[in-house]
Amino acid sequence: GDDVMESAGEEEDEDQVLHLKNTLKVVKCAEDDDFMAAFDKMMVDNIQARNNENLKVPQLDIALPMHITDRNKKTATYVTDVEEPVEDNAIKFVLMTRKGNKQQFTKLNVPISAEFAATYKERERAEMAE
Amino acid sequence: EEEEEEQFYMKDLPKHACSYCGIHDPGCVVFCNTTKKWFCNGRGNTSGSHIINHLVRAKAKEVTLHKDGPLGETVLECYNCGCRNVFLLGFIPAKADSVVVLLCRQPCATLTNLKDMNWDPNQWQPLIQDRQFLSWLVKVPTDQDQMRARQVSAQQINKLEELWKDNPDATLEDLEKPGVDEEPQQVLLRYDDAYQYQNIFGPLVKLEADYDKKLKESQTQDNIVVKWDVGLNKKRIAYFNLPKANEEMKLMHGDELRLRYMGELHKPWSGVGHVIKIPDNHGDEVAIELKSNAGVPTECTHNFVVDFVWKSTSFDRMQAALKTFAVDETSVWGYIYHKLLGHEVEDVVIKCQLPKRFSAPNLPELNHSQVYAVKTVLQRPLSLIQGPPGTGKTVTSATIVYHLSKQNNGQVLVCAPSNIAVDQLTEKIHKTGLKVVRLCAKSREAIDSPVSFLALHNQIRSMESVPELQKLQQLKDETGELSSTDEKRYRSLKKQCEKELLQHADVICCTCVGAGDPRLAKMHFRSVLIDESTQATEPECMIPVILGCRQLILVGDHCQLGPVVMCKKAARAGLSQSLFERLVVLGIRPIRLQVQYRMHPALSAFPSNIFYEGSLQNGVSPADRTRKGLDIPWPQADKPMFFYTTSGQEEISSSGTSYLNRTEAANVEKIGTRFLRSNVKPEQIGIITPYEGQRAYIVQYMQYSGSLNKKLYQEIEVASVDAFQGREKDFIILSCVRSNEHQGIGFLNDPRRLNVALTRARYGIIIVGNPKVLSKQPLWNHLLTYYKEQKCLVEGPLNNLKESLIQFSKPRKLVN
Ligand SMILES: [Zn+2]
Ligand SMILES: [Zn+2]
Ligand SMILES: [Zn+2]
Repeated sequence: GDDVMESAGEEEDEDQVLHLKNTLKVVKCAEDDDFMAAFDKMMVDNIQARNNENLKVPQLDIALPMHITDRNKKTATYVTDVEEPVEDNAIKFVLMTRKGNKQQFTKLNVPISAEFAATYKERERAEMAE
Repeated sequence: EEEEEEQFYMKDLPKHACSYCGIHDPGCVVFCNTTKKWFCNGRGNTSGSHIINHLVRAKAKEVTLHKDGPLGETVLECYNCGCRNVFLLGFIPAKADSVVVLLCRQPCATLTNLKDMNWDPNQWQPLIQDRQFLSWLVKVPTDQDQMRARQVSAQQINKLEELWKDNPDATLEDLEKPGVDEEPQQVLLRYDDAYQYQNIFGPLVKLEADYDKKLKESQTQDNIVVKWDVGLNKKRIAYFNLPKANEEMKLMHGDELRLRYMGELHKPWSGVGHVIKIPDNHGDEVAIELKSNAGVPTECTHNFVVDFVWKSTSFDRMQAALKTFAVDETSVWGYIYHKLLGHEVEDVVIKCQLPKRFSAPNLPELNHSQVYAVKTVLQRPLSLIQGPPGTGKTVTSATIVYHLSKQNNGQVLVCAPSNIAVDQLTEKIHKTGLKVVRLCAKSREAIDSPVSFLALHNQIRSMESVPELQKLQQLKDETGELSSTDEKRYRSLKKQCEKELLQHADVICCTCVGAGDPRLAKMHFRSVLIDESTQATEPECMIPVILGCRQLILVGDHCQLGPVVMCKKAARAGLSQSLFERLVVLGIRPIRLQVQYRMHPALSAFPSNIFYEGSLQNGVSPADRTRKGLDIPWPQADKPMFFYTTSGQEEISSSGTSYLNRTEAANVEKIGTRFLRSNVKPEQIGIITPYEGQRAYIVQYMQYSGSLNKKLYQEIEVASVDAFQGREKDFIILSCVRSNEHQGIGFLNDPRRLNVALTRARYGIIIVGNPKVLSKQPLWNHLLTYYKEQKCLVEGPLNNLKESLIQFSKPRKLVN
């Protein structure tokens, strides 16, 4: 099967990085435990506070710009235009952000281990097959 | 080489260098908008990346990416509402295109119209996962770079953050060496005397009590919406949801909660009640029965606050037992006293008339190892019985109690740490014809159980010999109140009857803590049996022991779950070791029951080999445990088990306090539905998952996404490993949840918990999890290897399972 859950660095030559890995292990201590607890608490508090806010937000209407949906993507202008090599196990996505009222597009390599990237690839494959 | 390293430290770091470790690759660092400092996305030696460590400790939430990083200078914010709280932000992909935007988890990612649009809200993924920014958003520095950077410990990070509060320019060099945290004294194997014993355990019980108090008092929840009802006993019942439920809370029947009204539609009110329903497969609601109906604002439904009422009773009783043990030499017999303290004493044989027949009336015939256990125990003042899963521990215990009682050595006291275990044993002992009284805590009198009729408070109600009490009771039930003279009379009569019932019982059954009930204070018990004793802390076990014990039988299994100790300090100091375990270490060999009658032999093989040196024999055949006509694609026809490879992401639950894994939940539902379609009764299926977040999610998911009648799914029990201890189901589905690379597998790390999870099923087990992550833990690595060897490690859709060829990770050495 597809082994997609490889963790960072695991592919590297084991012997070479072995001693480094050993020293980079999490050192268990009360401060670290407290941090984890504080992290969880911060998560809760933020989510709870948000849930209680009863925010009025704009109705969602995020249109996909044509030049993005265009498969060739040639017309798009990107913030960064460095052609970073796309690794085998990653998919090129475009991150859409907003500066004031202007949309911005940034290339983003999403590893296939992210579920939505895998789903996307699956679908693309299925479409190709058709 | 050293020189090079030196230079690395010395050289002036750019402004955007990580304020902890100095790493300054622009792609790896993030700017904290609040404190105006930069931090990297590497973990160093801690459980979160440096930027997350900082945000949490500084309570900051907004960040900016570096201008020279792959995304350029970007303030992370919700595309729709502009929310900049990174703890709430996540990615959402377009349905059909390779485009993503950032949206806040609430409300934007949950807006209903999202579904009809181009975006797929189900695929929302938080920015922070495993306490680190997603590595494809902010790069993680390589191990090499992290090694060469400054090494910062969590202690140093803490101190630095403290320093920054006064002096934002402080650096690591300003830190003094970290001091040593004061730890309580460790438990010992042997004690000089009971004073030393008390001096060591007393402070640990205190630590646990303080921790428990702090925890309970911090659980206050507001904005609670209440639904009112009236119980059969006319008492008011309040139903509500506690949104912040988590693993630590462990809400139980009988716990006390205080409900307070904070709104303006009624004058201030507060009332205390006992929990009579906890979140389960029938719903996430909690119900309490109020102690008093007076002034309850039943017309109000909103604006309530719920507090946990902390009770010191159980801790007080442990402390009292420790003290009695120390100062009262009649509290236990000399031999037991020395044995418990770990002293060398000459063995003593109890002279007793061994019965001709070892099986007790109306209980199943005993097998060889059970007979041996009964026979041996009767002749010894102190014995340990180890009962692996399904080996008939309860029947053996009940049989022992029967014979002890027939020896005419006075009344037998039977205890266990949990009410469920006490009830199960009480039921069996009652079957033998002995006169049994089940003593319940007052707070649990309202809770129904299969042995309610044996409970002291119910036996009193049916005592016909004291008509005056019956009359007063009836009056009290009807009017809810008695005049003060009547009330006084009622209480004294009741006390008298209770005493009489207790004194005439052959056996008294209660929890370990219940043995400290004032109603038992003046009584003596020469024979004490404690079931599930490996789940009790030592001081808890001492409560029944100090009532004059001369013959003590501890039953349990130190290879299954141990006592729950919440305070880590107390646990580390040894409070989580049971008396049974310490006695084993002292060289007392437990008598092991060896024939298991629960599991299909294919299911018992692994636990037997790993946890019981292969000594477990099967009292059932594969044919006894094979369900015909099952539409489950067992990879091997003769082995009703498989490990279903699922690599979904874990995430923090919507309450924020627990974990869940959607992909696993979906697979669990599919499997559950297969069982139901094969006419397996829902109550014969158990779903085990270690996290409250996943439990709630699975219950909900099955309700809404399951294709069969909702009612069916409701009857499937979904609960934690701990809740299944001591119980069994025909089929078990285990959802492991954890799927992150760095923080281990949490609750599943404990071998004893794994043992319990694997030994609940009678006919079949399916494990759903991520082998890549689980295999890092040595024991799980064993288990996965075993499933692989058995050709039971599979992946793919349920109706087309294929053997999985996934490579396991190298197991980590067990570091404690
Ligand atoms: Zn750093
Ligand atoms: Zn938003
Ligand atoms: Zn001694």
